[in-house]
Amino acid sequence: MERVMGQDDDEERQPLGGSRRLVQRMVSSGGDVGNGNSVVWPTVDGPLGLSEERSLEYARSFFKWGFCLLPLLWAVNCFYFWPVLRNRSSASSFRRIRPYVVGSSVAFLIFTILLSSWALTFAIGGERLFGPAWKELVMYNVADKLGLTGWM
Amino acid sequence: MDNSVISSSSASSSSSLIIETLGEEILRIVRPVSFCMFLVVVLVSALSSSDPSSFTSVASIVYSEAPSDSIWSKLSGAFLNSLVFVAVITLLTFLLVLLFYLRCTLCLKSYMAFSSFVVLSFLGGEISLLLLSRFALPLDIFSFLLLLLNFSVVGVLSVFLSKMPISLTQGYLVVIAVLVAYCFTLLPEWTTWALLVSMAVYDLAAVLLPVGPLRILVELAISRDEEIPALVYEARPVEPISSHRRRLWRERRDFEVNPGTITPNAPIIDQLLQETSKAIAGEGSVGDSSTPELEAPLVPRLPGMQEMEDVAEGIGLGSSGAIKLGLGTSSSTACWLGEQQW
Repeated sequence: MERVMGQDDDEERQPLGGSRRLVQRMVSSGGDVGNGNSVVWPTVDGPLGLSEERSLEYARSFFKWGFCLLPLLWAVNCFYFWPVLRNRSSASSFRRIRPYVVGSSVAFLIFTILLSSWALTFAIGGERLFGPAWKELVMYNVADKLGLTGWM
Repeated sequence: MDNSVISSSSASSSSSLIIETLGEEILRIVRPVSFCMFLVVVLVSALSSSDPSSFTSVASIVYSEAPSDSIWSKLSGAFLNSLVFVAVITLLTFLLVLLFYLRCTLCLKSYMAFSSFVVLSFLGGEISLLLLSRFALPLDIFSFLLLLLNFSVVGVLSVFLSKMPISLTQGYLVVIAVLVAYCFTLLPEWTTWALLVSMAVYDLAAVLLPVGPLRILVELAISRDEEIPALVYEARPVEPISSHRRRLWRERRDFEVNPGTITPNAPIIDQLLQETSKAIAGEGSVGDSSTPELEAPLVPRLPGMQEMEDVAEGIGLGSSGAIKLGLGTSSSTACWLGEQQW
């Protein structure tokens, strides 16, 4: 019961399916599996992070809430579950988390490309491209106009 | 004979290991505080051209300093300011203790989430606007608002959701400390110094006196086995040696530390560090009457030194093995550094 990698390749090698299920249950409960184990934790914090079942809930909610104008949650998702992304030959329970994490990374990439292209166009194009509207949109002018930094 | 040799060698090796783990734990606390101080100094030097007397808050309603005042009036004015400030803090802390006593944890948590959001969005927004103006970066309003919204929401989530990446939580706590410390550097100079001194005195009084609100809060939390809802920086625990036993402050319960298992809801207050939360009301935000900010002060307690194998207990690391640090110390030391007229 020392090796706790619930990989599908091990299915043939494992003599007792029962012990493997028990081991997987211990892994998913995130409890103490013993010292010097080779548990693969789904989060980047390792044993300090989430267990696999709770990771699924977190991955799912980060992915969904990212659509509410919060793309940084997608980035947090990718960062937090980096072992899931990196571990291509994933454990069977990683297989449930993986779609959300991969989806988050794709969505965050798309968002970054869109935002940076818009911001660079705005910054480099300047007044030549936008005309007088540029002065209305640039942040430091807006701040001066509305007096946002006045009290500091 | 062999046994004594073995035990003495193991004792010396365990003592060197103790020193190493202690050193590592201390480093893990010193690092974020130093980083906070560095950031505040950088901010102050970057934004130093603004008019210093335009910032009003509850800390300067009684007396606002003018450069032409005499030293005596400055001193007395600063003293009055700090007195008012400490009085407000005491009142609010007692209010928090009352809420905690009445088990209104939802109330407390939502208030803290709200004030963290305000600190991160309004203060963070202000400071980033100042930086944008200072360095003339042509960012447009849509991306700015989007980034600010993301930054604040993820910040609030990371500080209050129980399981976010540890580095993210630590980073956001450092950012909150930097923002609050920078605000304090904007106060008139004498008031800032008087405030720092009086806050230190108040912290000592609040924790050590039996009638002090912080002491009551911590005792309540310990007796109920609950965690205080507060802005607390928790350093990553160093791998503990399995034979060490950790003890609670006053509880004298022994916990076995299992390497690799951390109780995320550890209800234990460390012997060395106690924390609480207070609200500082600041005035003058756009359109609103007050902008509450949060600060969790730290009072380091000197542990009783015991014999060698009890050193770990003496330092009082809780059963989670992590040192916890309230945000007030890093804020105040960073503010003090920022005041140094770089």
